[in-house]
Amino acid sequence: MAGLELLSDQGYRLDGRKATELRKFQARMGVFAQADGSAYLEQGNTKALAVVYGPHEVRGARSRIRHDRAVINCQYSMATFSTAERKRRPHGDRKSTEMSLHLKQTFEAAVMTQLYPRSQIDIYVKILQSDGGNYSVCVNAATLAVIDAGIPMRDYVCACTVGFVDETPLADLCYAEEGGGVSSLALALLPRGGQIALLQMDARLHQDHLEALIEAAMTACKGVSKVLDQVVRQHLQEASVPSAE
Amino acid sequence: MSPMKLCVPGDKLCSTVDCIPGTGVYLRHGCIYSSLTGYVLKKNEGEELPVISVVRETETQLLPDVGAIVTCKVTSINPGSTPLKDRFRGTIRKEDVRATEKDKVETYKSFRPGDIVLAKVISLGDVQSNYLLTTAENELGVVVAHSEAGAQMVPISWCEMQCPQTHGKEFRKVARVQPEFLQA
Repeated sequence: MAGLELLSDQGYRLDGRKATELRKFQARMGVFAQADGSAYLEQGNTKALAVVYGPHEVRGARSRIRHDRAVINCQYSMATFSTAERKRRPHGDRKSTEMSLHLKQTFEAAVMTQLYPRSQIDIYVKILQSDGGNYSVCVNAATLAVIDAGIPMRDYVCACTVGFVDETPLADLCYAEEGGGVSSLALALLPRGGQIALLQMDARLHQDHLEALIEAAMTACKGVSKVLDQVVRQHLQEASVPSAE
Repeated sequence: MSPMKLCVPGDKLCSTVDCIPGTGVYLRHGCIYSSLTGYVLKKNEGEELPVISVVRETETQLLPDVGAIVTCKVTSINPGSTPLKDRFRGTIRKEDVRATEKDKVETYKSFRPGDIVLAKVISLGDVQSNYLLTTAENELGVVVAHSEAGAQMVPISWCEMQCPQTHGKEFRKVARVQPEFLQA
């Protein structure tokens, strides 16, 4: 696309951010009283809603029961109005199934499932507005929702999508950047221990750049973890103030 | 009340040298980390080291464990074992209804659908089956039951309950209420 400079000479991106800058972050926990845990998250223009139920008895297929740990059931879906063109099939298509599987794998690494044998934890995430970095925003929203539900986790799970343009890693890609021929990599990290829960990329990248890109992703995730931490602590303070009276 | 320390999942609390891990925490490489969002609580329980745990304002879902006393509702009875439908499924086998005369138990004279029963978990069961419960103790059995007329019945003995309206007696395996729960 002529004229679309993903990274200008002065180091500014399409939306005016610097290469390592994250988008504006806004989050709220406990948005639904009826669910065990819920959270709403906005990263720039991408908006996601995550709801957690559980741990409860395994419903549906009895064959899914694991005698030693809980089963995590994730469902990712996009609202029909979330993209520029109305989405015909919000869930059940290949991409949503793959995304649900990735979310499941990510949270199985962080949630202490061995404390709840023979039970099930449901995590439902819905994208209300999609502007790039869908997976990362889902993971961040789901982390807040799981914390809100009081399900024990080893650590936060923070995710970020990074891309490589002109020898520079760009953190927290938006939709225009994702589509503009950028090799994008999504990373989900447990920040305290520096452990990677999920790393996903399906683009072409020279192996010399991989190290730098992963480093940039980890730095961005640690930045996300600081913001999530602030949100959680603030929510905890707000929740405890009325009971202290 | 002194302000308690807030913590989030992943926060390092202390090392195993200083404290024993309690609930809401986990061990990694000889250090104790928090696994919940809440307040840190250190308690001295008479052992050498204090027990450190993380508590929340609202308790999360607990799973029944072996030896836990649970309150359950009867939803169906069949000869043999049938799962009871509730938040967690459990089964009381015929031989676990009573401690004495196990082979002479008639399920219809012990429980009816709709009864609220106090039972004990004896096993988590294997892959296919549910929690195994027992009422084979004096303190376990039917706590609340409604008669065929619909009124709540009053226990008369360990095996009978009476309806206050029709004065009809019905058979149940009644739980002996602990003295502290009886109203004067």
